[in-house]
Amino acid sequence: MSELATRRAAPPALGIDGLTYRYPRASSAAISDLSLEIAPGEFVLLAGRSASGKSTLLKAACGLVPHFHGGEIEGSIAVAGLDAIESGPGKLAAAVGYLAQDPETQVVSTTVAAEIELPLEMRGDAPASRARAIEEVALALAIPHLLDRTVDTLSGGELQRVALAAALVTRPQLVLLDEPTSQLDPVAGDELIWLLRRLNEEWGVALLLAEHRLERCLAAADRVVAMDGGAIAFDGAPTAFLAWSHATDPTLSTPSARLFSLAGIDPLPTGVRNARAILESPAMAGVGGTTPSERLVLLGRPDLGRQPPPHPSKLREEGVVPPAPATLQARGLWVELSTGDELRDVLRGIDLDVSRGERIALMGRNGAGKSTLVRTAAGLVDPVAGKIQTPGGMALLTQNPSDYLVRERVGDELPGKQGMAALRVVGLEHAADVDPRDLSGGERQRLALAIALAGRMEGEELPGLIALDEPTRGMDRARKDELTELIERLAERGAGVVVATHDVEFAAAFAARVVLLGDGVVIADGPVGEILSGGWYFATEVARVLDLPGVVTPEQGAEALREGRAE
Amino acid sequence: MRSAFAYTPRPRPLQVASPGAAVAYLGALAAVAVAYSSPPVLLAVGAAAALAGTLAGAGRAVRAALRLAVPIAIAIVVVNALVVNRGETVLARLGDWPLLGQVDVTAEALAEGAVLGLRALVVMIAFAVYASCVDPDRVLRALRPLAGRSALTATLVSRLVPVAAADAARLRDAARLRGPGAAAVGRAPLARRLLAGSLDRAVDVAATLELRGYGLEASGGNGRPRRVARHPVARRARARRRDPRAGDPRRRRSRFDGRFYAVAAAVALAAVAGGLLGAGDFHAYPTIHLGVDGATLALIAVVLLSGLAPLRRLPRRRRALAAAPPPSRLRGPAAAPALEARRV
Repeated sequence: MSELATRRAAPPALGIDGLTYRYPRASSAAISDLSLEIAPGEFVLLAGRSASGKSTLLKAACGLVPHFHGGEIEGSIAVAGLDAIESGPGKLAAAVGYLAQDPETQVVSTTVAAEIELPLEMRGDAPASRARAIEEVALALAIPHLLDRTVDTLSGGELQRVALAAALVTRPQLVLLDEPTSQLDPVAGDELIWLLRRLNEEWGVALLLAEHRLERCLAAADRVVAMDGGAIAFDGAPTAFLAWSHATDPTLSTPSARLFSLAGIDPLPTGVRNARAILESPAMAGVGGTTPSERLVLLGRPDLGRQPPPHPSKLREEGVVPPAPATLQARGLWVELSTGDELRDVLRGIDLDVSRGERIALMGRNGAGKSTLVRTAAGLVDPVAGKIQTPGGMALLTQNPSDYLVRERVGDELPGKQGMAALRVVGLEHAADVDPRDLSGGERQRLALAIALAGRMEGEELPGLIALDEPTRGMDRARKDELTELIERLAERGAGVVVATHDVEFAAAFAARVVLLGDGVVIADGPVGEILSGGWYFATEVARVLDLPGVVTPEQGAEALREGRAE
Repeated sequence: MRSAFAYTPRPRPLQVASPGAAVAYLGALAAVAVAYSSPPVLLAVGAAAALAGTLAGAGRAVRAALRLAVPIAIAIVVVNALVVNRGETVLARLGDWPLLGQVDVTAEALAEGAVLGLRALVVMIAFAVYASCVDPDRVLRALRPLAGRSALTATLVSRLVPVAAADAARLRDAARLRGPGAAAVGRAPLARRLLAGSLDRAVDVAATLELRGYGLEASGGNGRPRRVARHPVARRARARRRDPRAGDPRRRRSRFDGRFYAVAAAVALAAVAGGLLGAGDFHAYPTIHLGVDGATLALIAVVLLSGLAPLRRLPRRRRALAAAPPPSRLRGPAAAPALEARRV
């Protein structure tokens, strides 16, 4: 049979039949009686809440389950015609690539070129053939300039691309991706999804992508599979998925779909382009408009967003609101960090004030200086010039809450009255006798925050400033909603809360003010509605759909659309 | 912050040279330090290694090695002076010490300790330059045909050590950020946590290796699978393996290889010839004797000159350009006015 005929008769990229899997010593099955087929060249989005079985399914498809993790398995898995349960990950490596959430955990070499070359070496390819494959995959992923760099000098987005290159270099038929954008800024995240779509279209690679931020990739997908409790709860087209999630599990819905459902518009859109097309259709009677100002007139709200809420500091200056005590004051702050051979200015003359009760999202691309700013405020980094003060004290929760947990009982981490007071603040006073490892991800994060707060409160009064660095990595929307509630509680009790985050939708949900950093300077500082509308990358999906100044959340957008239709 | 000893690619002769050439060059210097005890020769080797590191852009690694090695060298001098009672020039009688007995500090024991300390310092400088300038992946790839699994293990260790250092720094930061009301964290719980984290990392790396096809190598052990499956994917892979082009164009020999091999050979020849001619005559006991003859001076000259091997000679036009720093190099608070324009 010719090569072309072989390809035409190719088996499915992934075929799963009656799969049931239980991890060792687990009381229940992680996957129950699951059947799924993915055709060659198909782009499938895997949706579902945390612990619904998405990661386990991906690991089963690449052979890590059960070969690496052990456990009990029933049913069959075929990857490009190979029996995955029989073959194991090593033999499947030529047919399937796998990209995990944290690229740090899947890099094994010192330099980028060596990392990409490793799978080819393992396969025994000739050196010249390896060199060509590396060159081609580097060009495809736009990383030729990184080939001679060491992996520890790369940004998160660059490292994720390198890991993707190592997964793609053997030209697999199927690539599995487990929340690959969760640690990336909006720019890098969007670029990665765009890159995946291009690879899918041009190389014909089948993709199975697990993701929480569905708004990022729903428009690119051919099909959506939603999981619940280890089983498939939905399998169909993206538009049908939106209708299903709206009726069954609204936490899986996208912001633009929520916008439309709140405004009573049908059908629900799969992305920004689709939403705009629906709004500009004749059926919408001109609600869409063509320019922001035209839309405002059509909506009957020409004033909307034109006068965004005044900045809190301006209101205080004008005596409209009583002055709140400052909890962070930075003046001309310069910070240098070593990047190997040379020093780099990470913060360059930052001026910033934070008051008690404020909820601030600190945003910017990877490397903009967000983490360095909060770490400098907490005293972990010394500035080279300027001043930074936190008069009311400060608690900082860094990116990995597990770093704070070193004992085997919550009460041992937080002994005494001060410890119990801190546990009460985060709502974990009932868990004093529990092993931290038995807590859920969200509870572990709250426990780590309590550890940072303990002893920094006067009675029940919180420290002046509480900072959280990238707290939503890998979180589903239900957990983000819980975190939003906690932040609001902390702010109501008088703490200024600063959250460094890439997640624009989360920022729109919790923050009143956004500080946007770029290359170590404050590029923009203002109310959330002003900063997160009018841009492209640092804008919510609703802002990108409506392009109305000041409108960033589905609720605000739905109100505007309802009013526009009523007019 | 990256370790000063971490490999950093730079467009300098020592970095672009093949691993064999770089190892031969730095190894020749280290071999002279091990073979000779003469302080002037050791100082020359140390100066040559430091000069080579500086010319290769690894000045930070050299300084870090000095910071690390000087206390070690001093400790060697002190210990040697206390435990060795040989030598005729007694500088101090410290009486009877438990375990050590009568302790007499002699000038000869101090001199011998200084030579041992100097040797350790010189070897550490050479190793620091090696670690900072020679790509470990290329070294280990060169070793893979000889010992595939050992080379792969070494690759993983060379990757996991800096990762563990970064984890330790993160845990220390988290410990500093604990509120005063939380239980204090001593070194033992932190060490346990670091160990647990390292095991998790090791499991992740093992899984990644499986996914990269490590199972295929398990049968061959030298990077070549012993069995080829009949699956179409494997057939295509086999077709690619039959590629007639033998060499990897990315890894063709550097134009500097010859220079480093020649310098290594010159240093080795000078060391052998010097040994035959009695160069580097030094002994500490019973009295200190240091002979500096013509052969010793010649050996010192060769060794010192070898430190210039990583010198990069720029073309005349590029030299003129390199003399003026680009405006983008403006750093620090002095750049503030230029940045004002960017603010909103």
